[in-house]
Amino acid sequence: MLAYLLNLATLICINAVLAITLNFIMGYAGIFSLAHAAFFGVGAYTAAYVAMHASASLFLAIPAAMLVTGLLSLVLALPALRVRGEYFVAASLGLQVLAVTVFSEWKSVTGGLGGTIGIPPADLFGHAVSDPVEFLLLALACLVPVILVTTVLLRSSFGRSLKAIRDSESAAHASGKNVAAIKTLSVVFSSSLAGIAGALYAFYMGFINVESFMLDTSVLLMAMVIIGGTGTLLGPLVGTVLLMALPGLFSYMSFLPQTEIGSIQQIAYGLAMVLLMIYRPGGIVGARSKGAA
Amino acid sequence: MLLLQLLINGVQAGALYALIAVGFSLIFGSTRIFHFAHGATFTIAAYVFYYVYSLLQLHWLAAVLAATVAAVAFGLAVNRLVYTPIQKHEGSFFTVFVASFGVGIIAQNVCGMLFGRAFVSVDTPLSRSVELLPDLYVSPLSGIAIVIALAFFAGLQAFLMRTHTGMALRALSDNPGLVRAYGLSPQRLSMAVFALGSLLVVPAAVLLAASSGLQPALGHHIMLISLAATIVGGVGSLRGAACAGLLLGLAENLALNWFEPQWSEAVTFIVLFLFILFRPAGFFGRTTVS
Amino acid sequence: MNAAVPAPAPAAQAAGDPHPVLLRIDHLHRSFGGLKVTNDVSLDLRAGMVTTLVGPNGAGKTTLFNLITGHLLPDSGDILWNGRSIVGQRHFRIARLGVARTFQDLRLFDHMTVEENVLTVMEPASWLWQPGGRAAQAARRERAHGILERTGLAAKARTRAIDLAYAERKFLSMARIMATDARIWLLDEPASGLDRGSYEHFLELLRSHVAGGVTVCIIEHNLDIVVGISDRIAFLDQGRLLADGAPDEVLKDPHLAAIYFGDQA
Repeated sequence: MLAYLLNLATLICINAVLAITLNFIMGYAGIFSLAHAAFFGVGAYTAAYVAMHASASLFLAIPAAMLVTGLLSLVLALPALRVRGEYFVAASLGLQVLAVTVFSEWKSVTGGLGGTIGIPPADLFGHAVSDPVEFLLLALACLVPVILVTTVLLRSSFGRSLKAIRDSESAAHASGKNVAAIKTLSVVFSSSLAGIAGALYAFYMGFINVESFMLDTSVLLMAMVIIGGTGTLLGPLVGTVLLMALPGLFSYMSFLPQTEIGSIQQIAYGLAMVLLMIYRPGGIVGARSKGAA
Repeated sequence: MLLLQLLINGVQAGALYALIAVGFSLIFGSTRIFHFAHGATFTIAAYVFYYVYSLLQLHWLAAVLAATVAAVAFGLAVNRLVYTPIQKHEGSFFTVFVASFGVGIIAQNVCGMLFGRAFVSVDTPLSRSVELLPDLYVSPLSGIAIVIALAFFAGLQAFLMRTHTGMALRALSDNPGLVRAYGLSPQRLSMAVFALGSLLVVPAAVLLAASSGLQPALGHHIMLISLAATIVGGVGSLRGAACAGLLLGLAENLALNWFEPQWSEAVTFIVLFLFILFRPAGFFGRTTVS
Repeated sequence: MNAAVPAPAPAAQAAGDPHPVLLRIDHLHRSFGGLKVTNDVSLDLRAGMVTTLVGPNGAGKTTLFNLITGHLLPDSGDILWNGRSIVGQRHFRIARLGVARTFQDLRLFDHMTVEENVLTVMEPASWLWQPGGRAAQAARRERAHGILERTGLAAKARTRAIDLAYAERKFLSMARIMATDARIWLLDEPASGLDRGSYEHFLELLRSHVAGGVTVCIIEHNLDIVVGISDRIAFLDQGRLLADGAPDEVLKDPHLAAIYFGDQA
């Protein structure tokens, strides 16, 4: 039981980083990205590669993951954000699809469909972090700064700029804001931090393959952010905990056909998204939206 | 000969993609609703056709009819039950998009649960390829696909040019803010648009099912194509979406001459990306600054 | 918002022009599909003067604003800011040059508070923090508070924009433009729907800023308002500039009145 809880807690921490960073761009800047799982994957594969070919030191793997992920997101964001918002959705969907293909085919770096196995445990000042409790502490040690940094940013002038862009892009332009630059910056920031989650994941699992970084995962992350409540500081955390605990809940319902659990979960997410958007777009944490009524 | 084969395949796929893309572009251009569930319309139409034709073993006409009813009903239902309530109280791009996305997930997984996630093929007498020339395999479906696509486009053109509803839709594509200025009620107009857009998907779904088979995940691919074609063609331009759909079908198939099949989706993304980089307005779009 | 362009040199003013041309619109053309929304429009906006754009619905007044601010690209013609062409420049750059605008539908930052709406306008830098550090930040907050006092919104500083009453929303729109420190204000129907008291308050705000050197161009339908504040009136109809002159000239013209009132269905 303890092992199960430790595992769940660690995975919650990792996914919370992803949800918080996705909320940063979706809930605050109004940028919809279907490529978050791709950045998660890039971070993971980068950390794995560095750990296996250079050093498993966290102080190398994590910055490397952040750098590569950040650069990749720049490549996506620079052209796609200078134009209308819908273009970014399309481009991010395309990038996600492309990334999955690259993960599956670039055997020399990612190990192809078989994935990367035998990733050494994370090295922290010479100590190998392999004990589950230690790793949970490490995951928390990464989650807390992420929460702090994003919160500080969102309360600052940059956060106001993001919210302005979300609320009315044309008014933001008219107020002298370089919307494209601000959006690009937020995407790079969000994706780099997603890279941290990827690195953690790679070290934690010891083995990664493309299955964890597909469109399904992007969908799950989106669901976490939306259900928890976009544009709030607490929302992504609530969403993460809820959706990570759900599979366990579903497996208790023995009347559900076990082979279809995956589909049923996805249907539950989809249904939650639809119903929430109709009745409570703010999610669980968000205030009931006051519309034009 | 391989290139010629790929060219023919490309034109066939392109014709069908053009239909789907025009359906999406029509809806998005007129209502500004990001109908992400358009891919689900395709999936549903294709699976209903499969079910009635292959599993129930009924006549293909009945299957096509069933698919049409399913697709149009789905499109209308999503508009009525999901988009309309949302637009009544808030209706931001985000809310509509997320809801549409949710619908897409539900539809895809329901199909997966009912029909399995594996690849199924629909075997029709027309699916068999005939060796026209040495190493050149063409099935009658290729010709049919092109003819049907052209027929539908001609019909659509007539509808948009001659009927009152059609003309209202054309004006809307140019300037969505004019919805209320026209004599037509917005609700009736969006119903017409969703019905029409979903209808255009049916021939593509049926023909693609018959020629290449289907699986639930196809919906995402279709969605990517629709999105890419709408952007590459120029938002608001139906002609552009059609041309772009054709272009993407050709690119996807011709790429097989040089790359492995797994990369065909990547090709779509690269085409999209190049356009966003160098010509964001697309083929026929207008350059506005904001 | 910084005025990257120097103020007109005293010599130019001494040369006899008390109201030098700040913004010149030169033979501007713009079409949408087959419809000509801006048809050979030339107009001068002079410093310290209030120019009002009038005309029936659909005359192309808001389009003209969109063209000036860079939201739309003209098909041909030029727009000169202090003698230099600004056509083709990005929307936000033109805003930073000192051209600010309000919107007919306000476009407030609805989910932010009143205070945040005003603050964010004073924070145009794109990086993670604004230059100047804590001192500048404190100065901005104080200035924002001052603006909220002047627009009567100080009590609602922590209220979300979406929760404000109609008149308060209009004044928040004014507060935002006041916060920009811009040399030119393009106001799109700023006073429509305001009650007598609010209208007087608005007029007083406007007059004090014009006296302080701001150049204003207003789109307005209400003739009472037009008469109350205009130094010049420009009459637009179907994209064309039909008249441009002193209020009594333009308003007394029967031909224009026919167009204007004829179209008031």
